[in-house]
Amino acid sequence: MHEASSDLPFQPSLDELQLLLARVARGDRLAFKSLYTKTSGRLFGIVKRIVRNHALAEEVLQEVYVRIWERASSYDAAVGAPSAWLTVIARNRAIDVTRQRGERPASVVHDDGEKLLLRLSAPTDGLDLADRDQLKRCLAELDEPLRRCILLAYCIGYSREELAVRFDRPVNSVKTWLHRGLASLRACFEAV
Amino acid sequence: MSFSEPWTRAGEYVLGTLPHAERSALEEELTRDIDLQAEVDGWQSRFAPLGDLVPAEEPSSHLWEAIERRIEAQGGRTPAEVRIVERLTRSVRIWRTTSVVAGGLAAVLAVVVAIGAIRLRPSANYLAVVDRSGTAPAMIVHVDLARASVQVRSVNAQAPDGRSLELWYVGKGRKPVSLGLTSALTEPRRLPSLKSQADFEDGQIAVSSEPKGGSPTGSPTGPIVYSGRLIRTSL
Repeated sequence: MHEASSDLPFQPSLDELQLLLARVARGDRLAFKSLYTKTSGRLFGIVKRIVRNHALAEEVLQEVYVRIWERASSYDAAVGAPSAWLTVIARNRAIDVTRQRGERPASVVHDDGEKLLLRLSAPTDGLDLADRDQLKRCLAELDEPLRRCILLAYCIGYSREELAVRFDRPVNSVKTWLHRGLASLRACFEAV
Repeated sequence: MSFSEPWTRAGEYVLGTLPHAERSALEEELTRDIDLQAEVDGWQSRFAPLGDLVPAEEPSSHLWEAIERRIEAQGGRTPAEVRIVERLTRSVRIWRTTSVVAGGLAAVLAVVVAIGAIRLRPSANYLAVVDRSGTAPAMIVHVDLARASVQVRSVNAQAPDGRSLELWYVGKGRKPVSLGLTSALTEPRRLPSLKSQADFEDGQIAVSSEPKGGSPTGSPTGPIVYSGRLIRTSL
């Protein structure tokens, strides 16, 4: 079986990924392999947490990298960091697949909400600390159930229904929580 | 009952909590609604650091070969397309330093004023300031979708001796479409028909140096000498 690393993974630098993506955009297969080597562990972790099935996650990861190959020429560094761009592609595909399949049987998932939040404050190499700090600060301002909903949704792909079960509330209450959480975060992000 | 502002829908979309049907509907809207796309992009950027919280895990070693096989099955990119993408990517750099892409019309005007002023016609829907990376803009291209016309105002552009400059519209992920020779576009000319406005909004304008009279093949044959991104200047 596969070991999940408990430490934050080694992060390739921003420049390294930008360079690789630019080469991938020109059809450079070696650069693509290098990009895969450097990023697949991170993206696989993200995908697998959401789809919650190892074999399916491997299938989805292949689709993710094919999309990265196809869309590398549309990546624009002005719009965001490479790792964020890769994350968006991976999460989009994982969520698509999950929502298409409909509700999953109730699975035993550790409530990682607070543990995940703690990791936001762990030291890292060469990441945009300002963004992380601001996100951490804005998340910290939320009431606890709102914050957990947001973390569980983003990191583990909980649907509204799953959150409703998890917090023993009606789905409409969860939807309200999510909207209040998003409203708070938005106000917090814009106030600087 | 929660009311749904566009940004809460966009936020739930990024979180992944929209039910399947609403998710598909929103994705379809994204192709047409630039503001909604901006909301989604905003949330994606804000939440992106959370991607580092999830523990990484190595996938099986056979996955790479499987990915390579899929790419090969779909075929590679053609050299001409690769070349144009490369040139456009480099030329976009001026936009990053002046934040024109983010700023819209006001920022475009600031750039134009800075380089010594061309009066903009307010009827134009789209504008591209076409330049060689890092130097003063060479020409300004107006595209008016309502009138289906394109016009070029040259600031600095010069065709090399014995060559013509040809204007191309390069839609996202598409082959370049010729808009004609720049020398023939000093008055508004008819736009070739494009499939949809959505196609149009993500495009770039490129100028290539061609044999006298333009490309003999219908695709750029000479080097791309100028390029610029189309900015929507009115709704």
